[in-house]
Amino acid sequence: MSTGTGGAERTLRQLLAPTCALSGAVVAAGFFFPSFVGSTVDGRGWLVISLLFFGSGLGYLAVLPGGTEEESNAAAYLLRVRRATLREAVGEFLARHDPVILGVPVATFTLFFALQFVAPSATVGAVNAVRDVLLRDTGPLFLGAMLLAVCYCAVLLVGPWGEIRLGGPDAEPAYTYPTYFTLVFTAGIAAGIVFWGPAEALFHYGTPPPYFGATHESAGAVGPALTYALFHWGVSAWSAYAVIGVPIAYFVFQRGAPLRVSTILAPFLGVDGLDSPAARLVDTLAVFATIGGIATSVALVGQQFLTGVGFTWGVETGSSGPLLFVGGLTLIYVLSATTGVNRGIRRIAGLNVALFGLFGLLLLAVGPRSFVAAQGTAALGSYLGNFVPMSLFLGDEWVASWTVWNWSWWFSWAPFAGLFLAALSRGMKIRTVVFTGVVATAAATMGWFLLMGGTSLFVQRRGAVDVLGRMAASEGAEAVAGFPVLAALPLGELLVFAFLALIVVFITSSADTSTLVVAVLSSERGLAPTPGSIAFWGGFQGVVAVSVLLLGGGETLQAMAVLTGGPFAVLSVVALAGLTLTFRREEGGHTSPVVRLWNKLPTIHGHHDVDPSKED
Amino acid sequence: MAGEPPEELPDSALERLFYDADRVRLVDWRRVSGAKPAVLATGVATVLAFVAGLSNLSQPSVPLDGPLAAVVPAAGTYAQFAGVLCAFALGPITLGLNRGKALAWYAALAVLPAVGVLPLVTLQPTDVPLLATVGLALPLLVWNRERFDESLDLSSLQIAALAAVLGVVVYGSVGSYGLQSEFTNLSSWSDAVYYVIVTIGTVGYGDITPLSARAKWFSLSVILFGTGAFTIAVSSLVAPAIESRMAAAFGNMSASELTLLEDHVLVLGYNDLTEPLLEELGDGTDVAVITDDGDAASHLEAEGVNVLTADPTDDAALHDANVGTARGVVVALTDDSEAVLAVVTARKANPDIRIVTAASDRQQADKLRHVGADEVISPTRIGGRLLGRTVLGASALFDGDDQDDDAT
Repeated sequence: MSTGTGGAERTLRQLLAPTCALSGAVVAAGFFFPSFVGSTVDGRGWLVISLLFFGSGLGYLAVLPGGTEEESNAAAYLLRVRRATLREAVGEFLARHDPVILGVPVATFTLFFALQFVAPSATVGAVNAVRDVLLRDTGPLFLGAMLLAVCYCAVLLVGPWGEIRLGGPDAEPAYTYPTYFTLVFTAGIAAGIVFWGPAEALFHYGTPPPYFGATHESAGAVGPALTYALFHWGVSAWSAYAVIGVPIAYFVFQRGAPLRVSTILAPFLGVDGLDSPAARLVDTLAVFATIGGIATSVALVGQQFLTGVGFTWGVETGSSGPLLFVGGLTLIYVLSATTGVNRGIRRIAGLNVALFGLFGLLLLAVGPRSFVAAQGTAALGSYLGNFVPMSLFLGDEWVASWTVWNWSWWFSWAPFAGLFLAALSRGMKIRTVVFTGVVATAAATMGWFLLMGGTSLFVQRRGAVDVLGRMAASEGAEAVAGFPVLAALPLGELLVFAFLALIVVFITSSADTSTLVVAVLSSERGLAPTPGSIAFWGGFQGVVAVSVLLLGGGETLQAMAVLTGGPFAVLSVVALAGLTLTFRREEGGHTSPVVRLWNKLPTIHGHHDVDPSKED
Repeated sequence: MAGEPPEELPDSALERLFYDADRVRLVDWRRVSGAKPAVLATGVATVLAFVAGLSNLSQPSVPLDGPLAAVVPAAGTYAQFAGVLCAFALGPITLGLNRGKALAWYAALAVLPAVGVLPLVTLQPTDVPLLATVGLALPLLVWNRERFDESLDLSSLQIAALAAVLGVVVYGSVGSYGLQSEFTNLSSWSDAVYYVIVTIGTVGYGDITPLSARAKWFSLSVILFGTGAFTIAVSSLVAPAIESRMAAAFGNMSASELTLLEDHVLVLGYNDLTEPLLEELGDGTDVAVITDDGDAASHLEAEGVNVLTADPTDDAALHDANVGTARGVVVALTDDSEAVLAVVTARKANPDIRIVTAASDRQQADKLRHVGADEVISPTRIGGRLLGRTVLGASALFDGDDQDDDAT
């Protein structure tokens, strides 16, 4: 490990450790002695130092040494890179990639930015027109596909097919359950959860959903607001990931198909037919949707983060602020992705969940517990009772701009989150996969939305702070919601600081996974992505994000990426049809746990001398 | 090496990316729940208590917003000074925990909850990290209870000196309180204690002075006995610590530094094999060497290796070096008969541990194995065979079959 990646990592460690320690010491000094130290550094300085602290800490966490085996692998990769000339390196890079999957997304993004540069208003207008038409006219498609996804997940959860162990009956899970949950949860949800947690319920409180028809900003609007926040971020959302992930996992581990999104077409094309143009189109679309989704998220998170900070404390960062923020973020998630699932990605995901849990506990301790509990249980009951009607409610403009837009968003993230879910699922039962990917993750998300949403509604209704007014007064809308809400609580400074850290960690833990997934998808079949390839895709996402910031059109590009949710909603239905056919043909011998329980009942009552567990 | 073959098996590429040989854990619980993390958490709590206390002191007044503010008596006074005072109490406790002292464990269990009260009284953002650390340290300490089982081992002089100091303080306080009418400005218990401490410490502000002859004689007795006891206590407590530092410089390490080692490799004896052995084990493994060779010990100590200067065949020495929690034992003694004794001692101390030993004489290998060595290596034989092979032109480094032959 004296050469190659080992040496580079050691240098990085030597660079990051003192940076983290120094910036951490300054942050701690400002935190503990605000009257002495606080005024010596201005607001922008504090922002830079805090971000430096978060960033170097995450980076250091990623490059901490892990198992020796991986390091020697990494060293071998870099040895090769060191020996090759630049031309050879580029040649090999191209040889390891699928030309279509590499080329088309890169060309599309370049074309988009060229158009955006030449004719910004025309491009924005065209994309928005397409978006409005699609959201209005394809509403039934999205609602139907999403309800089907939820129902299918329920069937897998209680039905006989949930028994299937991916990778054969004797397969050992590659990850312990906490690791599995953490990785799935943090990959599938980005910083959106942090911004929207306080904002979504407030929006619905200000403009109530037509399904419930409450008066806006009235006491009656609280319940519907929380219910719809749960609905948009709850079980439905995560089901979209599972219905892409489970078919991939099944065909990869039971049928030897390659680990890629197009594998969902295996029942129709055959495992050997996955090199066909149709399959490549699916993979290309998946890469486009993932890069578009993540890059615009990174760019928007960067902008919103600084907007929120600027709006709350009056810290002006100018136009270079978001650029530096996105640049730094890119460096960290590329570092995390190249160190692999077991090191950077796992550690940052673990830190993310720990911080998320601690923040939730702290908020529970100082927040309006009784209000949240009362409104939360009511909203949960209303969510369960109205789930099917809400899922089928087509309504008007409101549903198109909220529910359908959200569904499309979740489906556009499904290829990446589903593929990652599938990759981690070897050795798990399908029931475990669905339980983790839908029930457990949705429970965590919904708990957060009840806690954050309930708290912000409490603050708004008490009139302590007019959060809605502030949101209306700023362009960033959802980004500014969290700060005044948290600042109104006891320990507000600490909460706001942790809130900023959460935003950075959440976006990092999604972006590093997406980088890895895109690199896997674009590599030639059967080849693992090299660190160079991972770095390329991470850098490319960063470039897209920076271009969005420089040229504008973030919302437009995001709309384009989200609209790829449409094809994936259709593909999820196709995948489920194919999976059902395969299950019916191949997987007859499983019994559902419900049936087994049912069978056991009379046995226990009737024959006490027969051991019921021997029956199956 | 240049260019991995593209026809690599489809599975193995992704295998390497996603599937480790072992099941991937989120957190290695064994590594974060041991005695060392418990001591570390207490240490962090000490630092945080100090910094948060300073932060409270730097403010003109500390707001009392916490749920316990109404319950704690004299909360206002408490909140301003508690952090720093608790930090001074926690400092020696952390030091004692690091040496595995049982008394430090009890003291930590008494002091840490008191430290945890501070954030609950003030509920200031600066105090919350302290609460979190205390919440982490307490369960870790309780969980690792049996790792802190060392007695304090005070000498009779130290006990006597401490008792004398305590006795004089009690005598002086009770006496001066009883004679308060014969002193200026002395009217309460806190005045009495203040007077005695100021007097014993040879500060003598003079704000409280004896007036009558009886009070003067009493004060003289407090000065004589008090300063005497105080001086003896300081020297009896501090001198041994300095002595042990000096001893360490000359290679006589005491056992106290080693008590928290776990999962380490224990090397019994120091001979020509020890240095290459330590190199081979590298930085990733904790190693403790037991040797009675003082020069070797100070040399190893200088290199940062844990050393215990003791007889490697002594039961107590092995116990001090935590043979119970060690991963393995290497016997590196030149004299085979001593090696046999060391193997027997180690086997008796830990029946399950892996013991590897070197035998100078091949004939003794069987005996060593018989008394409990899992593996017996004959260095001279390996060396001889390698020399023989090399002279005939083969590149003879570690073909693998050497070990099998030498084991017999």
